[in-house]
Formats: sequence, C-alpha cells, structure tokens
Amino acid sequence: MADNINVEISPLSRVEGHGDLILNVRDKKIEKLIFRIPESPRFFEAMLVGKNWDKPSHITSRICGICSVAHTHASIKATEDALGVVPNDTIVKLRRLIMHHETVQSNVLHVYFLAAPDFLGVGSVVPLVETHPEVVNIALRLKKMANDMVRIVGGRAVHPIRTVVGGFTKLPTEEEMYQMKDMLKSTYADLEASVGVFKTLELPAFERETEYISLSNEEEYTHYDGIVKSTDGWEIDPGDYLDRINEKVVQHSTAKHCWASRDSFMVGALSRFNNNHGQLTGKAKEYAQELGLIAPCYNTYMNNIAQFVEVVQSIDDSIKLIDELLEEGMDDSKAMVEVEPKAGRGVGIVEAPRGLLIHDYTYDSNGKIEKANLIIPTGMNYINMEADMNAIVPGIIDKTEDEIRLACEMMIRAYDPCISCSTHFLNVELVNK
Amino acid sequence: MKDTDNSIDNIAKTDIKIIGFGNKFRCDDGIGPLIIEELEKLEISKNKNIEIINGSTSGSDLILHLKECPRIIIIDAVDAGQDKGKVICINEKDIEKFIDKNANSLSLHDLDLGDILKLSRALKIKSDITIIGIKPINIGFGEELSPEVSERIPEIISKIMEIL
Repeated sequence: MADNINVEISPLSRVEGHGDLILNVRDKKIEKLIFRIPESPRFFEAMLVGKNWDKPSHITSRICGICSVAHTHASIKATEDALGVVPNDTIVKLRRLIMHHETVQSNVLHVYFLAAPDFLGVGSVVPLVETHPEVVNIALRLKKMANDMVRIVGGRAVHPIRTVVGGFTKLPTEEEMYQMKDMLKSTYADLEASVGVFKTLELPAFERETEYISLSNEEEYTHYDGIVKSTDGWEIDPGDYLDRINEKVVQHSTAKHCWASRDSFMVGALSRFNNNHGQLTGKAKEYAQELGLIAPCYNTYMNNIAQFVEVVQSIDDSIKLIDELLEEGMDDSKAMVEVEPKAGRGVGIVEAPRGLLIHDYTYDSNGKIEKANLIIPTGMNYINMEADMNAIVPGIIDKTEDEIRLACEMMIRAYDPCISCSTHFLNVELVNK
Repeated sequence: MKDTDNSIDNIAKTDIKIIGFGNKFRCDDGIGPLIIEELEKLEISKNKNIEIINGSTSGSDLILHLKECPRIIIIDAVDAGQDKGKVICINEKDIEKFIDKNANSLSLHDLDLGDILKLSRALKIKSDITIIGIKPINIGFGEELSPEVSERIPEIISKIMEIL
C-alpha cells in the first residue's frame, strides 16, 4: 500500500443519481475527502411559484420515481397546513397505508438489490441470481406486493393520482381492502426466509455516534406525521424546523449541506429506529433483536438492517390499519374534506424512505404559491457521509486501494442516497497517481 | 388524467405492454411518458389486449412487467451512439449487443436498463422486448421537448404501430 493515494469514484454505482467521491491521502493522512454532486441543481422550488394549491403535489411527485409518494404527501400536508384543512381519520389512515408501501418498495429495492450484493460479496444483483436466487425472488415478490398496494390506494404504482389536497378522489373498495390484507399476509414466509439470509451477512464493525433526527409519534412507528425529534435531546413541531435545521451552499456540490445541533446529522431508517424503536411491534421487534439491531445503534451499515425491519413493521401496521378501516366502514363520504384557498404558510414533513422530507409553502389569498422551500433527506445526510468516511479511512489505510474504494462505496450506499432528489446519473473511476 | 393505470386483476392478462420511461420535467427525458399520453389519445388498446404504461423513472419495476407479459415495447431516451434526435429501434435479437455496448438509457432511475435486461436474462425470463429510443438533446429542467426531438414523435408512433 502506497503512502499517497488519489481515489476518484466518478460516478458511484448502485445509488440513485450521480455523485463522485474524491479521496486524496498523503503520508497516510487524509488530505482531501469530499462527496461531490456535480449534477445540475433542481429547480422545483422555482417551478412551484405561481402554481395553484391543487398542483404542487402532482408536480413535486415527479422530483423522484422512488419517493414520489413521500413528496406527494409532504406537499399535500404543507398545503393543508397553509389552508387550514384538517383531514379525517379515514384519510389519515389511508395516507399512512400508502406511505408504508412506498417505504416497502424503496427499502426492498435497496436492501435486496443494491446493498445485499456488497454484503454477500458479489458485484451486483445480476450474479446474485446465481449465488442467492431466493434473495432475488423474495425481493421481486415483495416489490410487486408493495407496487400493488400503492396502485390500489393511490391509483398508480408510482406518482399516485388519487391522493390530493383534502383527501382521496376515490377510496379503495371493501373487496380491494380484503385483497390487500391477503397480499400482506402472504409475505410472512418471505420475511422469515429473509431473516435467515440477513443473519449471515457480515457487516463491517464500524461505529461513529452522530445526531439522529426523525419524525416521532408516541402512537406509532411513524412515516406520515409527528414531531421532529433528535437523539441530542430536542423535539420541535414541524412548523419550527428552521429553528433547528440549517442549510448552506458548498462550493464542491450542487446539493446544499445541512446541520442541526452539531457539525452533521443523519436521517433515514437508522435514525427512525434510534428515535422510535419503542414503537416497533410484533415481528418487526422480534426480527430487530434477531438481527442484532439494538438501540442506540451507531453503525451506519446497520441502516440496511433497519430498512428491512421497517419493511416488516410496515407490513404489520398495514394489516392493523386495514382492519381498523374495515371496522369503521369505507364510506365514500369520508373520501374528501372541503378545501378553501386562502393566504398563509404551511409546512409538511414526512419520513421519505431515506429520511426526513420537508416541504414549506407560502400561499397568497388566491391560493397560489408565493414561495417554496424543499429540504430532502439525502441533502441532510451529505456532511454525515463525509464524516463517516473520514472516520473509516484511517482504520483501513493499510489496505489495498480496491479495498479502500469498496469500503467507501459501501458506506455511501449504506445511506441509500437519492442524489436525483437532491439535485440524476452516477460513474466510478479510480485514479492512482 | 387517468385515474388508474391497471388493477392487480388484469396484470398478466395483457398480451403487450408499452412502457414509456422518463421524467416529463427533464425536457427530452420526458419523451417516454409523452408518447404514452399520445397513445392514450389514439385508444390503441380498444380492440387489442394492450396495456399502455407511464413507467416514469421507476426502472426496477420493468423486471416485474417482463415477468408478467410476453411482449414489451419500451419507449425511452436512449444514447446508443446514434446522432442526437435520431430514433433507433432495438429488437430482441439486438438486445445482447445493446447490453454489451452499455448504451445509456437516460431515464431508468434505480437499476439501469442494461442491469434490468441482464437480470431478466439471469432469471431466464422469456420476454420479447423492443426498445424504441431517441437520443436526447437537452435533459435540463423544463417541460418542453427540443424541436428536433418533438418533430420525431410521429416517427416513434408509426414505429410502434408497425410493431403492433
């Protein structure tokens, strides 16, 4: 191993979008380590200005094909907050249901297709078909189930169309509710088999404590609604997010960087687990213990295990929600509440699969957007990613360049970054001077 | 706007799926979804068992479509080394070359088109795929297609009709 290395991974594979990692080491000391987003910044905030209150959720849904349901709901919640619209219990439960299945869609894709090849020592999902065909087939079945759930509730498997400000344009039928329940119940054998495989994964024993921020709700392991909570001991109402979450522009990246109580913080499945592990129920709680996921967990790689546990929690909670909705009755009169445009500011915060997602809109008296601010989870994680790599590289500095490169790539992938959201496209190149 | 694209009941009962991939807010990358909108107006699925799908940027779902349907036509922004704005049609027999050439499909968001096709081969999924692609000129933010791409819409539609 040389004392001096230059590693440039450009673009990085198996993450959403295009990001580069640059690592220069001189005399075995890190001289430069930056995670660079060279993509053009996204102009959705500007695109929203002047749009009528019923449009933003459909526009922002297009920011990302992976977390379109989350953007839709952060947007709907921001608009409803601004216009003083309060959704009824049926609407909230159906929103929780559809949010669960975007989490399943996204977490399954990442854990089984993008991250598992790292931990099973194969280069990508393609050789995984030969080495672990059961993993690929389970992933495909779970993904199809989640797609069908989102399709039934939202009208489409991505970019839902029935989810609007004020409620739903159409409710699922009682028959569809029973159909969804059967689909959910059919997944348990695959979840059990997955635990068997994930128990054999060898995750790097890396720990770095940081600030973990997520939504939190005493009633449930939330993805849809709650207060914003930090492991550094503070809690705030969503509308006060600017009191704690700061953004800055950095020269090397087109994505803004964020910080809160200290230099960096983490959002996503591991943060949700660290703040809300007490709300895990049934099989999710059981599998977390079985897979060694114990709060507080400071191993970033365990984010992938937390993502799997969340898949189980979402399936458990969905069955509960469907039972409650059936019990209460799916009456079409509950589909929508009234919406009247007025001036005002509203904040909508949800847990996208990758973490906290903030939409903040100011409306004029005609119900048109005057100002919009969107903060996406991957943007919140950038500084923490760099801090994690600064912590991991000194410990592996004597390994080969290929090993160092793989460790850094695995670290970035553990975050399941969605660079497209924050700013589209990725490359990997090692330059050894 | 359609209220729904399909129900779980009619999945696997479709003879042909036409899927347009892309992001309509990324100029020429939106060609796939835009062609889907044009096909919906033509009501081509009226007399045939054809499903028309806006695949948006959700690439990995293509594998599910491939599992469920024997005939797939993909519309996407594709750079296979052709001239900008030029339409290419890649048939089943040329798919391997497409994979090996590692051509860039610009819009598949998670796993790219090459990965999905390799995965379908590894899973031994038998499906007849045709990719109709146009090389984009501008994939910056915006809702307008480049004029050179826009004027190729009739050509893309007629290629689809020839296949059907």
